[in-house]
Amino acid sequence: MKTRLVILWLAVGIPLAWGVTQTLHNALKLFR
Amino acid sequence: MTSTFLNRENTVASPGYNRFLVPPAALAVHLSIGQAYAFSTFNLPLTKLIGITHSVSGDWSQKDVVWIFSIAIAFLGSSAALFGRWVETVGPRKSMFTAAVCFSGGFIVSAFGIHLHQLWLLYLGYGVLGGCGLGIGYISPVSTLIKWFPDRPGMATGMAIMGFGGGALIAAPLSILLMSHFKTAASNGVLETFVTMGVIYFMFMMIGVYAVRVPAADWKPAGWVPPSRPSPLVTSADVTVDMAWRTPQFWLLWMVLCMNVTAGIGVLGVASPMIQEVFGGRVAPAAAAGFVGLLSLFNMGGRFVWATASDYMGRRNTYMVFFLLGILLYSTVPTLGHLGSIALFVAAFCIILSMYGGGFSTIPAYLRDIFGTLHVGAIHGRLLTAWSAAGVLGPMLMSYIRDYQIGHGVPKAQAYSVTMYIMCGLLLVGLLCNFAMRPVADKYHYHGGDRS
Repeated sequence: MKTRLVILWLAVGIPLAWGVTQTLHNALKLFR
Repeated sequence: MTSTFLNRENTVASPGYNRFLVPPAALAVHLSIGQAYAFSTFNLPLTKLIGITHSVSGDWSQKDVVWIFSIAIAFLGSSAALFGRWVETVGPRKSMFTAAVCFSGGFIVSAFGIHLHQLWLLYLGYGVLGGCGLGIGYISPVSTLIKWFPDRPGMATGMAIMGFGGGALIAAPLSILLMSHFKTAASNGVLETFVTMGVIYFMFMMIGVYAVRVPAADWKPAGWVPPSRPSPLVTSADVTVDMAWRTPQFWLLWMVLCMNVTAGIGVLGVASPMIQEVFGGRVAPAAAAGFVGLLSLFNMGGRFVWATASDYMGRRNTYMVFFLLGILLYSTVPTLGHLGSIALFVAAFCIILSMYGGGFSTIPAYLRDIFGTLHVGAIHGRLLTAWSAAGVLGPMLMSYIRDYQIGHGVPKAQAYSVTMYIMCGLLLVGLLCNFAMRPVADKYHYHGGDRS
């Protein structure tokens, strides 16, 4: 059950983290 | 076989099932359908399908292409309202599967439309079919999450609805990446990107279909005891979806959502030109794009933070904060513009957009408090028509008033001031509706035996 929990959260967490990083990178242009 | 797997009775969780497996299932669906917020990345490439690098005669115009998104949002609201009862009946797995087929199918039909250069196939594909996928997918996990987290309904639905905001953060860079990967001398890569995204999103949504479970009828979180004296605005009774329509509370909540969304969506649509015009020359287009990105992050984060906070503050108090703080911030924004303070201007809009997101994510738990859990998903679906109305009202108000001001000689830098004060007026209407919220009268409560 714990392995499944970790895999599921990683499956949704990794793409979300990638999207947030990309957006944050773009957002930082406002402060340059 | 497939039908058996999708049936509600086969999704009932076994004893000891970890309820934290359900939010990622909901997130898989919401992160996918949240792509809709980033559809504008395709608008320009869709006008260059023949010319590839620039629009030529025979290419679709921007004016025609923007209708694809508008149709999708219209069908989001109407399908959520229309299929809410069906979603409640068949359960989350079958409805998530249907949403996946519609949403991904929308991409494939649209790709076919690009291949044949028939715009109506994109209206039908992404607009109608994809829009139905958006609506069904949006409401699919809501009541399931509320049943799994009776102790923290705001946090649970906030987590899922945060995914809808986060979906755009993934889809925008992904679309650009795929289009540049598939770009050749003969194609600008949109067709191939549509097919790829259709396949990717179908597979990603299947994670949700596979993982979602509903709790057994008598299930409660370990050690949790329902409060013996709940707040007057948290009911222990139930109201059916057909009866909910007839209560004043439904229409008060409809207005609360509509006013909150109208104010936020109007800003989102014009964020980039607004900051450039208000601070004329001091904010470059690239920095303005950064401002839009920052607003998207706060829109997403606000969905989780505010909905979670509502579990502690109470739903009505949370909306009171949205409206009162919103009025304060909107009325201050013109002054911040005149003072030339970019940092404070950006900070004010970040908080405003967090409350816009929070309005979406807190509403399912507010509905649960007022109407009970019986048909909360279906009632939520009908309430989403407020979103469709706000989607038209917000941008229209914002651009119409701005154009009117500029037409009457107001400098561009000051043209948004009146709009901000009008947004304050809308928020005041929302505040009054929220203030008028009372428990549903007993005559509307459901007293029957069949709870399907």
